[in-house]
Amino acid sequence: MKTKQLLLLFGIVALIQLAIPASMIWDNQQTIEKGTAYKFKTAPVDPNNPFVGKYIALQYTLESFPSKDSTWESGDPVYIYLTKDPNGFAAIKKAVKSKDKNSTDDFVVAKVNYAFDGNVHFLFPFNTYYMEESKAYDAEVAYREQVRDTISYPTYALVHVKDGNAVLSDVIIKNIPIKEYVRKK
Amino acid sequence: MSSKIVKELPKLVDAQIISPETAKAIEHYYRNSPDTKSNSLLTIFGVLGAILIGLGIILIFAHNWDDFPKTAKVILAFLPLVICQFFIGYTLVKQKSTVWKEVTGTFLFFAIGATIALISQIYNIPGNLGSFLLTWILLSVPVLYILNSNSLALLHLIFATYYGVEAGYGKSDYPWLYLFLIVLFLPHYYQLCKQHPKGNITSVFHWLLPFSITIMLGAFFSGTSRLGFLIYISLFGLFFNIGKLSFFEEQRFIKNGYLILGVLGTSILSIILSSKWFWLEFYRSNHSNTSDLVLLLSLQLTTLILIVRYFQKNKKDIRQVNGFQVLFLVFNLIFLLGMTNNLIGMILTNIVVLLMGALLIKNGSQQSDFTILNYGLVVIAVLIICRFFDTNISFVIRGLLFIAVGVGFFYANYILLQKTKNNRS
Repeated sequence: MKTKQLLLLFGIVALIQLAIPASMIWDNQQTIEKGTAYKFKTAPVDPNNPFVGKYIALQYTLESFPSKDSTWESGDPVYIYLTKDPNGFAAIKKAVKSKDKNSTDDFVVAKVNYAFDGNVHFLFPFNTYYMEESKAYDAEVAYREQVRDTISYPTYALVHVKDGNAVLSDVIIKNIPIKEYVRKK
Repeated sequence: MSSKIVKELPKLVDAQIISPETAKAIEHYYRNSPDTKSNSLLTIFGVLGAILIGLGIILIFAHNWDDFPKTAKVILAFLPLVICQFFIGYTLVKQKSTVWKEVTGTFLFFAIGATIALISQIYNIPGNLGSFLLTWILLSVPVLYILNSNSLALLHLIFATYYGVEAGYGKSDYPWLYLFLIVLFLPHYYQLCKQHPKGNITSVFHWLLPFSITIMLGAFFSGTSRLGFLIYISLFGLFFNIGKLSFFEEQRFIKNGYLILGVLGTSILSIILSSKWFWLEFYRSNHSNTSDLVLLLSLQLTTLILIVRYFQKNKKDIRQVNGFQVLFLVFNLIFLLGMTNNLIGMILTNIVVLLMGALLIKNGSQQSDFTILNYGLVVIAVLIICRFFDTNISFVIRGLLFIAVGVGFFYANYILLQKTKNNRS
């Protein structure tokens, strides 16, 4: 191949290499800016990704919903339609197998964990919150301690939702972001 | 060095020192011939340096600098990528040497990883390592072919295996995309085999590709399959027969990864299969499904085609067959008989391993090859050591067996040494 053609080809490849990370940013940034913010109450749980860094693993109190359907299989997608409860926390309106085209409610796509006793249990895709490595352990400990307090100061995750895309932007403990909470401690 | 000479060619043509045809011939020679030794050393250390720096940058990013504002982080994410892309563009325009191509290519590979890692961090994209690796590999494949870079091919193969392990083991689905990634690597491998059949880097791939497949095969059948061991023995049979192809047989022994992995894999598995544990616990309690059988048959069919072609091409008599070429067929029979009675399976496997060792010793002494002879002795010794632990033979007999094998080692080597001395004189 001639240099010119090679260079042209590389130009295209380089653009793709830039475009894919950029589109990751675009989708998520749009969700944060224009999506609706939901507060997901968390429930009690020093993992690390070798390339991305340390994170705290989050679980939610909302991870099951009554369902008469007995054909749920582990790993299947489940469309969770959201609403807000009187205290302003996220609540589930319905959990269905496929996208409801008539609904204008926000939804996220979770993965079925298992179905048992008339309930479908699932895992939300926003279960990872990356932290600075020196703070991740303290954050995990603080999170575990505080997460039991579900009445006076519920710990929650702030999740932005738009068109099925969900971006976790913060974890709040005692009404302050976890990063600051750890710093103050 | 070579790129400097190539650059000087137009001047020499203008000055009518050499003809345009000679200039073209010289350029062709330098473009296609392997670089000089110093150049390949520079390439190796350059690439190693680039890998270390690249991984270092990823690790520094992984610290998670949460004091930085989001915009700064986003700019930081793209910075290494854009710099590397610029340098690759420069390498292409200036037609830089192989060293440049390999080093900038390696840098770009890790820059891509760093970019997507940092964006995952900024937006808390869940830590699914499999999909992260897949995006990374797919974004860097085209550069492998644009630069024709061996280091990128090497990284591709290693990371594809890493992806396969992440996506395949402990999951319910088979990692089909791993196969796709291997297919993406094959044109480069084919080109290398054609252009540099004896090259060192080519032989690195002769080792790495079968090694990667060995690691990943287990993800393509159920973990409790009773056929699992047979599937692996068939794979090693296939490797051995690939290693027997004239292209690989012409290579130096150590460069023939297929042949060596085939022999080692077959012998290790045969010894495992000769154990009480396999026949009385594993084989009895496990079952297999149709997809395992399909995998087994397709591996064996491919191997049989290779064997038939081998004998047709080399015009050899079927009696000259090497035991390792067809051992998987023998194990088919043993597995079938083992279904009726586990004990028969166990006894037959032990006989097969013993015969394997004996044949290796015989071949080694006939060909005056110490490696083959001692390998045969090692096989028998390991077999006896294993039986030492799982049978109830009396201590005296076990002791005598060990002494016999030890004496056998000395005697066989001594005889062979005498034979080679006599041959020389």
